[in-house]
Order: sequence, then C-alpha cells, then structure tokens
Amino acid sequence: MFLKNKPMWGKRTKLKSSYDVVIIGGGLHSLATAYYLAKDYGITDIAILEKNYIGFGGAGRNTAIVRANQRTQYNVPLYKEALDLWPVLTKELDYNLMFNNCGNLNLMHSEAAMKAARMNICTAQFHGVESHLIDAKEAKELVPALNISEDITFPIHGAMFHPPGGIVRHDAVVWGLAKGAAKKGVEIHQQTEALDITTKNGKVESVKTNMGTIQTKQVMISAGGYSAALINSMLGIRLPISVLTIQAMVTQPLKPILDHVVSSGAYHCYANQTLKGEIATGAHMDPWPNYTTLNTAYYIKHQAEALSEFLPALRGLKFMRIWGGLADMTPDMAPIMDGNDQVEGFFMDCGWGYFGFKSCSAVGKYMAEFIAKNECPDILKPFNLKRYQDHKLMGETAALVNYSPDN
Amino acid sequence: MALTITCPICGKRNGYEFRYGGEEKGPRPDEAGLTPEAWCDYVHMNNCVAGVQEEWWFHKDGCGSWFKIHRDTTTNLEIEQTEATE
Repeated sequence: MFLKNKPMWGKRTKLKSSYDVVIIGGGLHSLATAYYLAKDYGITDIAILEKNYIGFGGAGRNTAIVRANQRTQYNVPLYKEALDLWPVLTKELDYNLMFNNCGNLNLMHSEAAMKAARMNICTAQFHGVESHLIDAKEAKELVPALNISEDITFPIHGAMFHPPGGIVRHDAVVWGLAKGAAKKGVEIHQQTEALDITTKNGKVESVKTNMGTIQTKQVMISAGGYSAALINSMLGIRLPISVLTIQAMVTQPLKPILDHVVSSGAYHCYANQTLKGEIATGAHMDPWPNYTTLNTAYYIKHQAEALSEFLPALRGLKFMRIWGGLADMTPDMAPIMDGNDQVEGFFMDCGWGYFGFKSCSAVGKYMAEFIAKNECPDILKPFNLKRYQDHKLMGETAALVNYSPDN
Repeated sequence: MALTITCPICGKRNGYEFRYGGEEKGPRPDEAGLTPEAWCDYVHMNNCVAGVQEEWWFHKDGCGSWFKIHRDTTTNLEIEQTEATE
C-alpha cells in the first residue's frame, strides 16, 4: 500500500536509463555516501537501489549504540569522526537524530580483560578520544544497578568507561539522510533489485535491475549482510566474510534505571535503556552462518540469564519484542572498503559486522571522496581487500581464541 | 528455529553440540608453487551463499568427528545429500 503513497523523503521518481553513480543497497552507508557525494562534490545524478525499503536491513535492526573505543589505530580515528558527526548532521539535516551521549561502560571480568582494556584506552587517549579505566566500585557508582559481588558467573573486575559514546535513534538517521540526499537530487528507488553488474574491458558498464538496465561508470555495493553474496555472484569476487544472524530484544518499559550503555564481553550481552524506558539488549551472533534473521530460544534464555546476573534488578522482566539482523563478519573484525581495484569503477563497503551503524556517518563522507576523486582517501587505505593475502590482518580482536565465523 | 545436524556416528542431534567448520573448499592446495593469493583464497575467502551450501561440522560435544552436510543458509535446515546434489 505504501507504494502508492508519496515517499517521506520527497517525490517518487522513475528509474532512468543512466546515472553517474549507482549505489546498491538502501542502508545507512549508501544513504550517507549519496548525501556526501551531493553535498561535498556536487554529484547528484545518483540512484540508490533498494530491494525492500530503506531501513529494512541493519539500519533499522541495530541496537543504536555509537562509540569510538575500538582497538586499532586505523579504526579509532574513523569512529571518532563518526561520533563527532552526529551533532553536526543533526543540524545540517535539520532532523533530530536524538543523539544521547550517555556514555558506554564496557565491563571487564578478568585481569586479562583489564589488561586488554588498558591497551584500548591508551589507543583512544592517543587519538584524543575520552576513555578511562575504572574499578568495580567506580562502575557501581556510575550504574548502581550493577551487581559487583563475587558470587556471579563472571565477577566484575572493572570497566572501560567511554563518556562520549551513547545512543542515536537509528530510524531518524535513515529518514534524515534520505531526506537530505533527496533534497539535493539523489534518487532513492525502493522495490528495485539490482540483478547484475556488467563490465567491459575491466570497467563497469551497467547495472541490471528488475526495473531495467542502467548505464553507469561507477557503482558501489554497500548492502550490509547481503554484500558478500552480491559481490560474489555479480563480479565473482570472493570475500573473507561470514554472514551471521545477530539477535536483539527489548523488555517491557521501566522507570529510569540505566543511564549508560552497559556491555559485557564475557556475558556476550549489552544493554541500554531507551528513552521509552525499555531495556534494549543484544546478544552475540549465531555461531554458524545463516541469513534467517530469526530469534532462537537459546539466545532469549541466554540474554535473560546474563542480564539477571549482572543487572539483577531486571530479574522477572518480560521481553516485549525480539528481532534479528545480519552481521557480515571478517576474520579481523574490521571492514573492507575498496574500489577501482578488481574492476575499474566498482566500489565496495562491507564486512562491517556489527559496526555498520556507528561508522556510517564518517564512512559515507570518505566513500564519497573515494568515488568523487577516484582516489582512495588515506584514512580508508588500510581497509583494502588485499590486506588478507598480504597477511596484514587488523587485530581488532584482542585475543582470537578460535578462527571461527563469529570470531 | 532450532538447528539440528545429523552426525554420521551419533545421528540427528541439537546443533549447539557442534562447531561450524567452514564452507567446503576442496582439498588443501599443494604447497609447491603456492601463491599468497591462492592460499588466501583457500584460508579466508567464502562464497556466502544465501541458499544451499556444502559445509564442515565438528561434533565437539559428542563423538568428535568431522563431516560435511548440505544446509540451506536461509532456513537453517539440513538438506538430504541426494536432494542437494540433484
């Protein structure tokens, strides 16, 4: 039914037979790239092709957490810029993205984890990102609901406190960027599925869709969890990616109890209280690749057990809604951004795993620069696909126990 | 949805007893004349099929055997070998 109505971002347009740039996938990385192509480089003849509707995939399924406390020197500056851009975009797009920089508290449950946190904090501080190591007592002062007793499965030794992080309303980012891009002339085509990319002499020539063929010299695939399968089937480029379902859920609403994002690697659980009062919480990914986006009893039970141990006040709460999305994981937990390498005019922005939301603003800006200038910006250079064969994996995981799809 | 996997020794069991061992990639490449590209392709690269794929599993909480099955990655259902190769 919504097909007949006017889309919220502006006018419905007919798919033309040629564009300067075609972007496959209607998620946040695509919308942000199109927005910055139009804003910073005056390239407005852009078509975004989305098989479902914008915000259908990871853009509307993530748990809305933003932060810049990653591990490596390559990642941190990118996420810092993404974090700094939320208030800027709120103004620029004239759209309330509801950035709530309530701060992130990463719980540490062993001395080894505290040691790993020290390194993360050093990296953050070196790059001008505020991040502190605190002990269990200080964590309890910040979040009185925490259970810091020693009689739980993973007693809390301390935490990595990252005040500038927080929560951004993910749907608002989709709507704001779609409106902002469309206002500058970008066309968003929903229910439009890209079927193939044709090349000639190693250059991109056209994109075949269910609505006709589009001539273009530049095409980017940034289709979240579906990117790897698309890139392989369209161009025969295999990627070091495993696609896994990641599950999330929200509880019934409560009075204010949590004013930070709390996460725990050992419990594989992260939680924050939304402005509506619900506790939004996410789990680890399924341990085997699948595209189901289905929830499992196994993880619902796991979340309930984890939350009731380290936040015992939540015991007995009911989950109101559950859902799943896709995470495209790479072996080094860092994304793949590349272009003009395998095929001239072909760009990819994928392998984000569960980091796609928090990075979209800055990545859109730099992928736009990459496409507009046909030259990779320095900040994106370390994320090329060749790093895997050069054995320059990024080390975003502190200690990789097993080489497995879910890291 | 529950995943079940049929172990050649223990039969149909709960999927959480197993560890996923990656996509079937054929035999390990010969070391003679091996290029970084070919090795990387074997070690890291995946097809990421949204559909039926052949894959390895390890019965970690069971008999410890390694074996291959066909599974539909869009439904998490194991597919009969004969059905998959048709």
